[in-house]
Formats: sequence, structure tokens, C-alpha cells
Amino acid sequence: MSFRRYFLGRIFERAYRGTRIGYTAVSVWLRYKFPRWWDAYRGRDPDERDMTQIHQRNADQIYATAVSLRGMMVKMCQVIGTRSDIFPPQYVKTLSQCHDALPPRDIDTIRSVIEEDFARPIAEIFTDIEPTPIAAASLAQVHGATLTDGRKVAVKVQYPDIEHIIRTDLTVSRRVAAIYSRFDRNPMDFLPLLDELQRHLRMELDFRREVESAERIRELFKNDPTVVIPSIYPEYSTRRVITMEYVRGVKVNDKKALETAGVQMQGYMTRLMRIFNRMILAYGFFHADPHPGNILVNPDADGRPVFTLLDFGLAKQLPEGFGLGIFELMFSMMTFNETAMLRAFDELGFETQTGEKETYLAIARRMISRSESGTFQGEFTEEMTDGMFDAIRENPVVTVPTDFVLVARAFALLSGIAHSLDQRANALDALGPG
Amino acid sequence: MADQHELDDEIRLDALEFTYDELLAEDPYEEPLFASGVRCHGGYVDGAYVSPRGRVRRPAIANWQQRLRDAGEPLVYVPGRYLPPTYPNYAQAKYLLKEGVTEPITRSLTIISIIEGFGARIRDVPVPDLRKEILEDIAGTALAHLDGGLFEAHARDEAGHRDQGGHKQMWESARDIGLAKPHIPGDVLMRLMTGSSGRGRGERLFPDLSERLEMLITTMANVLVVETFADNTFTWAQQLLGDPEVSADAEAANHMVTCIASDEVPHVDYLTAAISELRARTLISEDGRKELRGKEVVDAIFSRQLRGMATRRPQENRERFREEIHQAIDNKARASMIARRFEDLDSGWTFPHGDDEELDILLETA
Repeated sequence: MSFRRYFLGRIFERAYRGTRIGYTAVSVWLRYKFPRWWDAYRGRDPDERDMTQIHQRNADQIYATAVSLRGMMVKMCQVIGTRSDIFPPQYVKTLSQCHDALPPRDIDTIRSVIEEDFARPIAEIFTDIEPTPIAAASLAQVHGATLTDGRKVAVKVQYPDIEHIIRTDLTVSRRVAAIYSRFDRNPMDFLPLLDELQRHLRMELDFRREVESAERIRELFKNDPTVVIPSIYPEYSTRRVITMEYVRGVKVNDKKALETAGVQMQGYMTRLMRIFNRMILAYGFFHADPHPGNILVNPDADGRPVFTLLDFGLAKQLPEGFGLGIFELMFSMMTFNETAMLRAFDELGFETQTGEKETYLAIARRMISRSESGTFQGEFTEEMTDGMFDAIRENPVVTVPTDFVLVARAFALLSGIAHSLDQRANALDALGPG
Repeated sequence: MADQHELDDEIRLDALEFTYDELLAEDPYEEPLFASGVRCHGGYVDGAYVSPRGRVRRPAIANWQQRLRDAGEPLVYVPGRYLPPTYPNYAQAKYLLKEGVTEPITRSLTIISIIEGFGARIRDVPVPDLRKEILEDIAGTALAHLDGGLFEAHARDEAGHRDQGGHKQMWESARDIGLAKPHIPGDVLMRLMTGSSGRGRGERLFPDLSERLEMLITTMANVLVVETFADNTFTWAQQLLGDPEVSADAEAANHMVTCIASDEVPHVDYLTAAISELRARTLISEDGRKELRGKEVVDAIFSRQLRGMATRRPQENRERFREEIHQAIDNKARASMIARRFEDLDSGWTFPHGDDEELDILLETA
């Protein structure tokens, strides 16, 4: 391929992705707005309208766009797919397929990545590789395979063009953010978040880092029979390929399948929260992407759930004392202790340009008011995270530590899993010994 | 909040019924209590510390207990001989501080403060409609006031409320005053999460009762035992943080612990009253078809909690602390000498055996 052709191809792809994302956003918006305008014009109450079909059409279009574009669009859909408590069921059901049920790339594309990275024919590494993947997600897909020594393994292989796609999506997102900031009278500054997302996606794209992260988490849980981290075979892993132990299990939020498998549901979420508490609050290094596709469950001999954690691409090291700071913040919110709340915000690294501490209290009050009960009882829901960002938008002098954003997102994802099981993801309840 | 003058008029020494606001009413403090710059609950009257929310709560609890005594009903209690001593003991802890091994003591005090703070969860304990689940009338009892101010007052005492710190902040303050703002070990929450487990707590002993009622009795029994056991911790902390040889400000640190200890008295007293009241009544099964003697239910649950908490749990904690302390000592230059001396100062403790019959409910006859 000539350089000119390659260059033009990249420009065309960027324009195509930007247009497709913009077209989807406008279509979704209009599909909600037109009926409301029409109803208002006819003197009907727009809230009376049955929105089921509109939700479904919008969800289908967003899913189609994500599947077609992959990259960051899929990441966004993964979050929506866990939020049965916020989004209509049509969105949750449709977009949750993005967790691990994306239409896969063909096996030849995958083979070429493996052969390129190992610089030898695939037959010298695997005696067979299943052509149909076990899972296909935003950055990579996973295939069952057999090593030449007969061991059954799962091979995670990165899509060959994903780095370029991510770069393009980030550029488009930055432009969309810039346009948004011109039109919104009180815009939120998305750029630090996009910077952070960019850093994380870069880390996610280097699978060697993921292997190291998995080893750290395995060491943490080595004496805990409720957690499984699949063994990784470093000699069969590269920057774009990870070869690991093959583990089967039920998806963490599939209530029916969990019950069929005989998994004890009493205390189920508390056990899962305890695992994440240990990583986030106590250990300071955590799996920051606990969407349902990344957690499998099997019952132990007594039916208690054993959680298998997958995909450590977004594992994160927290600063010393950060976990205790998060705990103090949650605790002070639970007890409405404003003095302690202010101290916790300070210790976590929140900042105001003027030093005005009342802003913190406004944030906390907004977060608490978004909870279901109007009190904070230990569950960090997405509504609360949204409440925090709303309050920050109204007080743009505040600097939010990016680590806090990631932790809040992880807790919000866990809260989404809990809600789809009719349980609660209460971090404070899960703080005691197991 | 009820007006002070109204309260003066309305509260009679023999009253048994109180409003939510009355049970949270404060004494007219002359000075507030500050702990390391944080405004805390309670305050000073005539130069003496007065615990928070006691203006009505104090006489109310005394009245409910007196009513039980008048009726010849015994009060449940945990005898001193079952109180596990704090580990490491005062002499050992003092020695560690003198040798610069501060981390285990700092960690212990921090964990105490966190656990105290968790006492606030008592406000989330669901209280069933006791009038439907207890055969006899419960008017004028502590039981009838659990969710009418008693649990809320307890929660506020432990974790603070609004702009006032509670025991959590007061313990942190005692630690920071006595040990001159020590570095808090980063593994505090990890130690808390890997501590001895509460295995067996979830098993139901009386499935005929509503789950809420059994849970309520279990929680109250559990908290009563914990609060009673805390007596030894207070004595230990008063001695250690009040010792000028190792404390940066012995008088202030000791005073802070003394304030906390006095605040805990009403907790033990109202729980004693409520559990004893339940014991003297008849409980109704969830389907309404059976009647169970309160004595039978309460004794079984209370004994199970006491049995677990007086035997296995402190023993596990002691073994874990000992290991942590030796790890901390190992980082010191004269590690073997320090370790030997530390062990020499151990006063030991014979843990009651799990099947010790005397661990069955203990009663103080009126």
C-alpha cells in the first residue's frame, strides 16, 4: 500500500467514524424530541406516550454503531448495559451484549496477529484454535485453544487495527467535547477525563502490563478460596496476545443461570463487594473494570459463589492512604458528619481554587440526595456519581482526583450488577472479615 | 428538638414514655468538647464532662430498668470473668512504645476507632412491629423506644453527627494526642477485613419467629456483649495513653478515653433493659400460630453470641496480634531481645471453653 493511499485511508476512516457517531447522537436525540414536540403541538401530555418502541430503536442503533465502530463506543455501551436501575430495559438488554457478545473478527485476522507476534507458524504454538471465539469485546477477542503440550487454554488476541481506532475515537471525542463546551452555558471540562481515558486505553493495549497486574491480584487473593485468577502462561504471551488457563463459569449478573448452577444467592453481592473492597480500600491496587463480562461465577462444594476475575487491562495502583480516604468519605457521608466529610475530601486530593470548603459539602449533599433512600448507606451508585458531576459542573473550581473517578466508576459498575440481581452493592457492609 | 423549658416541665422522674426528640435531648452544656480541633458531642457542666443526649435518655433508661426490678424480673449481664483482657496488655504495650514499636498500637487504636464508628449501623437495624410480635403490652419499655430514639442516639454517639464528632473521632483524637500524631499504617483496612470472622452468626435458631425479630435480638445481644467487653479496652487505653512515660499528653489523652467510656454506659444500660424486657415476655411466631417464651429465645441467642465472642474470637485476635507485633519487632535492631522481653511481660489468659455451661445467660436477680 502506498503511503498516500494509507494516509487518505486514515483520513477517510476518521471522517467516517466522526460522522457515524454524530449521526447516531442526532438520530437518538430527534427520536425523543419529535414525538414530544408533536404531542405538545396536539395538546397531549408527552409523558403519557409509550416509549418502548423508541427506546428499542435507539438502543438498536447505538448497538449497531458500537458494533460497527468498536473502540470507545463499545466501552460506553458496556457501562449502559449494566445499569438496569437507570436505563430502560430495551437499552440494558440490547447494549449488555457488548460485554462479551460482539460479532467477532474472522479467525484469519486473529491468526495473523499471533503469528506476527510470535514470529512463527501458529501450529508451533497451538495444536488447535477454535475458530469461534468464547468472547469478543472492544479491544480483543478470546478463543479456546490447545497448547502443543496438550493443555487447554484461552487465548486473548488484540485486534490488529485497534490502536488506530482508539486514537481516532479520542480525537473525535475531543472535538465533540470542544463543540459541546461552546454550546453549553456551564460546561463541564471533559478534557482531563479524556486524558485519563487515553492513558488507560494505552495501558490496556499493552498486554504485558495486564499479565503483571493479574499476578499482583493473584498474590493478594492466594489464600482466599472465593477468588480465582486464571493462571497465565508468560512464555505464550506477548504485547498483543495473552495465553491463560481456560476457566468456565456463569456470568456474574445472569440471575437465572446462577440459580440453575446452584449458586447460593444469599450474601452473594456482599462476597463480591468484599473482594473489591480488599483491592480498592485495603490493598490499593485494583481491577478497575468490573463489568459483568469480566467476572465469572462457579459454586463451591457448598454452593457458595467462587468469583473468577478476568481482564486486568485496567488495573490501577492507588496512592498510599487513598483507600482509607475513600472509606472515610463514605463513612462520613453515611453518618452525615460534615466535619469528617471535609477532611476526607481534602485527604483524597479534591481542590478548590478559592479554598472554599462549602463546595465539597454541596457535592456530598448532591450525591446523597441522588441515592434511592435520600441517605448514604454504603452503596456508591451511578446516580450518586452523576450527582457528583452535576455539582462539580455547578462549581467549576473543583479539581477531582482521577483515581476517585475510577473508583467511583468501579463501585457504580458493581452497583449495576447488584441491581440486576435485586441485591445491593454496599461497600461498608462488606468491610468486615468474611 | 424539644425546647429545654418544655422538657423541664414535662419529664417526671417516673415517666416511661418519651418522644424521639426527648431521647435525643442534650444537657445545657457550658462548654463544648473538642478533640484535636474537631468539635465533638457532649460537653462540660460545672467543669465536668457530661455525655451527649443524656438529658432525658439517662433517667428514661433508669426508669425502665427500675420497672423490671419492681416486677422481680432479672437483668441480663456479662460477668467480669468472661471479659477477655486486651492484648497486648498495658505493660507489653508500654514496653513496645518505649522501644519505638508504635505501629501495632497505632493500628489497634485506629481499628478501635473504625469499629466504634461502625456502631452507627445500629440505626439501620430493622425493628419489626413489636406490638404484633410480642403477646404482652410493651408500652413504657425500652423495647418500645428502640426505633423511637434509642438506636439513633446510640448511632450518633458512636460515629458523630452533622458537625459533631463521635467516638470514632474521639478515639482518633486520643491516639493522636497520646502518640503525637503517629503515621497510620496503610494496611489498617486490610487487617480489619482479614480479622476473625463472624462464622455462624447467620444461622437461625428460631425459624418460627420472623427473621426481623430474630435478627433484632441477635444484634442487640451482640452489641451488648461488645459494649461490655469494651470495659477492659477503656482501662487499657486510659493506662497506656495516660502514662506520661509514653504518652505525649497523658492528661488530655486519658481524659478523652474517659469521656468515651462514660458515653458507653447508657448503651449497655438500654440494651440490658430491652433484652431483659424481651426475656420477660411471650413472642409470637411469624404465622401467628405459636407462642414462644421470651426467656427461651433470648437465653439461646444471648448464650450463643457470648459463647462465640468470649472464646474463639478473642483467641483468634490474640494470635493474629501476636504475629503482627513480632513482625513489627523484627524490623528493630535488637529484635530478639525486644521479643523476649515482650513475651516475658505477657500475663496470659485462659480462654473459657466453648462448651462451658456457665457461659449460658447470666442474670442479675433484682
